[in-house]
Amino acid sequence: MAVRIEKTFEVSEPIDKVWALLSDPRKVVSCVPGAKLTETVDDRTFKGAISVKVGPSLTEFKGEVKIVRLDEQAHILELDGKGQDVRGKGGASMKMTGTLQSLETGGTHVVAVTEVNVVGILAQFGGRMMSDVSDVIFKQFTERFQQKLKNPEAEPQAAAEPVNAVSVVGSALGHTIRRALGGSNES
Amino acid sequence: MIQQTSPEIGGMGHPVKRKEDARFIQGKGNYVDDVHLPGMVFGHVVRSPYGHARLKSINIENAMKIPGALAVITGADLAAAGLAWMPTLFHDKQMVLATGKVLFQAQEVAFCVATEQYAAADMAELVEVEYDELPVLVDPHKALDADAPILREDREEKSNHIFHWEVGDRHETQNAIQSGPVTAKVDAVFQRCHPAPLETCGCVADFNPVTGKLTIWLTSQAPHAHRTLFALVGGIPEQNIRVISPDIGGGFGNKVPIYPGYVCAVVASLKLGRPVKWIETRSENLQSTGFARDYHMTAEIAAERDGTVKALRVKTLADHGAFNAAAQPSKFPAGLFSICTGSYDFPKAFCEVDGVYTNKAPGGIAYRCSFRVTEAAYLIERAMDVLAYELKMDPVALRLKNFIPTDKFPYQCPLGWTYDSGDYPAAMNLALKMAGYEELRKEQAEKREKGELMGIGISSFTEIVGAGPGHTFDIVGIRMFDSCEIRIHPTGKAIARLGTKSQGQGHETTFPQIIAQELGIPQQDIVLEEGDTDTAPYGLGTYASRSTPVAGGATAMAARKIRDKARKIAAHLLEASEEDLDWEPGKFFVKGAPSKAKTIQEIAFAAYTNLPEGMEAGLEAVHYYDPRNLTFPFGTYICVVDIDKGTGEVKVRRFIAVDDCGNIINPMIVEGQIHGGLTEGLAIAFMQLISYDESGNVQGGNFMDYLVPTAVETPHWETGKTCTPSPHHPIGAKGVGESPNVGSPAAFVNAVVDALSHLGVRHIDMPVTPWKVWQILQQNGVS
Repeated sequence: MAVRIEKTFEVSEPIDKVWALLSDPRKVVSCVPGAKLTETVDDRTFKGAISVKVGPSLTEFKGEVKIVRLDEQAHILELDGKGQDVRGKGGASMKMTGTLQSLETGGTHVVAVTEVNVVGILAQFGGRMMSDVSDVIFKQFTERFQQKLKNPEAEPQAAAEPVNAVSVVGSALGHTIRRALGGSNES
Repeated sequence: MIQQTSPEIGGMGHPVKRKEDARFIQGKGNYVDDVHLPGMVFGHVVRSPYGHARLKSINIENAMKIPGALAVITGADLAAAGLAWMPTLFHDKQMVLATGKVLFQAQEVAFCVATEQYAAADMAELVEVEYDELPVLVDPHKALDADAPILREDREEKSNHIFHWEVGDRHETQNAIQSGPVTAKVDAVFQRCHPAPLETCGCVADFNPVTGKLTIWLTSQAPHAHRTLFALVGGIPEQNIRVISPDIGGGFGNKVPIYPGYVCAVVASLKLGRPVKWIETRSENLQSTGFARDYHMTAEIAAERDGTVKALRVKTLADHGAFNAAAQPSKFPAGLFSICTGSYDFPKAFCEVDGVYTNKAPGGIAYRCSFRVTEAAYLIERAMDVLAYELKMDPVALRLKNFIPTDKFPYQCPLGWTYDSGDYPAAMNLALKMAGYEELRKEQAEKREKGELMGIGISSFTEIVGAGPGHTFDIVGIRMFDSCEIRIHPTGKAIARLGTKSQGQGHETTFPQIIAQELGIPQQDIVLEEGDTDTAPYGLGTYASRSTPVAGGATAMAARKIRDKARKIAAHLLEASEEDLDWEPGKFFVKGAPSKAKTIQEIAFAAYTNLPEGMEAGLEAVHYYDPRNLTFPFGTYICVVDIDKGTGEVKVRRFIAVDDCGNIINPMIVEGQIHGGLTEGLAIAFMQLISYDESGNVQGGNFMDYLVPTAVETPHWETGKTCTPSPHHPIGAKGVGESPNVGSPAAFVNAVVDALSHLGVRHIDMPVTPWKVWQILQQNGVS
C-alpha cells in the first residue's frame, strides 16, 4: 500500500536555523513520535526504530535511514528509509523530501512530501487509516519541531515511547469513526 | 406430478415451518465454538504480513514466556512429521505451515497453543519471524511473463501456469465467429469475492491418548470426506477418527476445503494429549480461507442479422492464488464452466481456461453455486445483452429467439452436457407478465426523454447442479454419491440419517417431508440427523446444490425400500397377496375394499412383533444414490434500477425472480433460499471485492472494506415459479439454493448497463459502485 502524504507548515524562525535542525537526523528524530536513532553508521546513514500501535497490534519498525540528498543552497533534503517490524509483523519503506522556503516575514515555510509503502497489518487498514494516523503523527511532529526550534536543548517529552503512538491511533480512530458517522473532522 | 398428502402428513409441497429454527432463534444452537471440553486449550495462528518472502528464522522464545503458553508449532516441526504440506482437492498441494517461503499475505506460519484463548493470541504477537522480501505477483495477466517471479519452487514445472483446459470445437467455432455476419464481444471480470459466512471456520480437536480416538468438531460441509482425508494424510486409522459437524452458521462453499488451522489443531492435540480449540477471527476468515471467482473472461458471439446465434467462443484466465485449492470434485479443471452456452441453442461453441498462480490466498471455491457455474451464467447473460445492442434488438426478443426449444429436451449442448429438462419461454413469459415489461420499456423511453436514468436487466439463466454422477465427480477417488438410512421405530416414528450436512438449508424439515411423502409417516414424527461420521452413512456432504438432487434421491429410494417391505408385512396382516394391495400415503388397503387397511404405524409395530414366516425383523433401509445425470434448474430474473445522476448511486426499484427447480419439497424454504441468494447476488454485483495492492496487501480483509448487505440495501423481492420436473430424479426435484446467486448478478449489471446504454456503455465490471457509475456519468457529460 503506497501512500503519498504532503504536508506544509510555517515557523517563525529563519531558514538557516530551521535547516540546521531539519538536516540533522540526530536532532530531528526526537520530534518524531515513537522514534529513536540507535546507531550512526556514517555521516549520512543511521539505524533507528519507530513504534506504531494500532489497536492491540504494536508494530516496531527497525531499519535504516539514508540521506540521499542534502542541498544546502536550495534547502532540499531527501531521505530514504526502510524497515521491518522486529517481530515480523510487516515492513515499510519511505521516501521523504523536505523543502524550506524563506518567508517575507522572516519565518520559514516547510514542505514535506512523504511516500510511504507499507506491507502487513497496517496496510490492511487501508489508505484512510494511513492518512489519519499520519495526520496525528505529523501534528505531534510539528509541535515538537517548533518547540525544539525555540529551545534546542529541550528533549520533547518521552519522545521514544510508543505510548505516544497509542494516543496517536486512539485519536486517529476517533477521526475515522466520526467521519463514518457523518460528523466533522476538525484536524 | 407429486400426489398431495394431507397437512397432518406434511409431505412434499407443504410449507412446513422449519424445525431447526426453534433452537436457532432462541440462541440454543450448538456451534463448534459452543463446544467446551475439560482440559481444553486454545490455538492461534501466526500469519505472514508479506505476499511473497523467504522465511529466514522463527524465534519462539519470547512467545513461550507468556503465562499459560504450551507450545508453538512451526513448519519445520510439521516437516519433521511429514505434514508440512497437504493435498488440495484438485491435484495440487498446499502448505499447512510455511516452510522455505510464504506465498500470500495472511498465510499460516506458526501455531501457538495456550491455556487461554487470549494468551494464545498474545503468544502469536511475540513469535519473531524474520523474512526476506521477494517480488510480488498480483496481476494474473502478468503471471506468465518472462520476468514474472516463479512462485512455486516445489513444483517440477518452473512456471506459474497451473493448467490449460479446453472443450468444444476450436476450429469450427473460429470459422463461425470470423464469418459473422454480426459479432459481439465482452471482456468481463468476475471479481474475487468471499462467501463470508456468519460463523467463521474453526474446530475442536480432541485426541484421547488412552483410547487412541481422535474426535474433531469441525465447521465442515463434508464431514465424511474430511474424515477420510484426515485418515489418508495423517495416517490415523479411519475407525479412530470421528468428525462431528454440529450446527453450522452458513457455509456457501467456504467450509468445503480443509484449512491449515484444522490440521494444526489436530497436531497440537496429538502432541499435547488435550483438546485444542481453534476459531478464526473475521479477518482471518476473509483473508485466508477459500475465496470465490477471480475469473477474467472474454466471450464472443456470432449471429445472423435476424439474431439467431451461430457460435460462442470463451477464453478465460483463472486466478487461483498461491495453491490450486479449488474445492471442486469434477474431472474438469474449470469445473462446470463449460455450461457457458447457458439457455441458448448454440450450434457451435468453444471454451478454454488457463489457470495461474499469484501471491494471493488460495481457494476458488464454489460460492453458493456449482463449480464455476456463476461465472459462466454471468458471462453468457452479459454477452447476450451486448449482442442485443449490436443487433439493436430487445434483449427479451433475442433470448426468446434463441432459447433451447422445449421439445429438444433432453438437450445435448455443444460443450458436452445433456440438459435434463426445461421450459425457458414459460419462465420468461411469467417474469415478463409479473414485471409488466412493455409498460416498463415505455416508462424508460419517457424518462430517457427527460434525461432520467432507468434500466431494465434480464437474466434467463440455466444452472447445472447436483454433483454428481460418480463417473464425472469424485473426491480423492470417492464417487459423489450420497446416502440416507431410515429406521422406523415400533411405534411408527422414525429417524433418518444422511451423508449431507445442513448449514442453514433446513434439512431437518425437508428430508422428513420426502419420507412423509413416500411413507405417509407425519413429518413431525421423523427426526433427522446429519454430521456425525460415527452414526451417519457415508456421504460427500452439502454444497453445489447437491443435497436434494443426490441425498434427496437417496432418501426417496431408501423410503421406497421400506415401503416394499411394508407391503409384504401388510399383505401378511391383511391375509391378502401383495398384488391385491393398493397404497396411499400412510396405508396399504385391499383393492376395492378401502376399509380393509393397515396403516404404516400398524405395519411398523408388526415389523417387530408379528412378521411373516422367515422375514427379518425390523423396518429400516439404507440407500446410496448415484444420480444418472446432473439436474438443470433455470429461471428468468428481471431487475429494474434507477440511477441518481448526481451521485451515481444505483437503486434497485424492483426485482422479479421466476425460478423453476422442478418439484418443490417445501415452498416456504424455497422462497427463503431465493431471498437469501438474491441478497448475496446483490452484494456481489454492487458491494463486494477482495483485491490486493501492488505490494500484495489484502484490501477487503475486514467488514469495514468488505461490505455485507443489510435490510437497508436489500430491495423487495418478487418471486414466481414454474415447474418442470427432472425426468431422471426419483422425486423430480432439481435443487434451488444456488440459482438466485447464479442468475442474479447478470440481471443487476444488465440493468445498470441498460440505463446507460444510450451513452454507449456496454459493460461495467462488478462491483458496480456509485464511484464507478459516477465516473462514467462524468465522462459522458451527464450530471
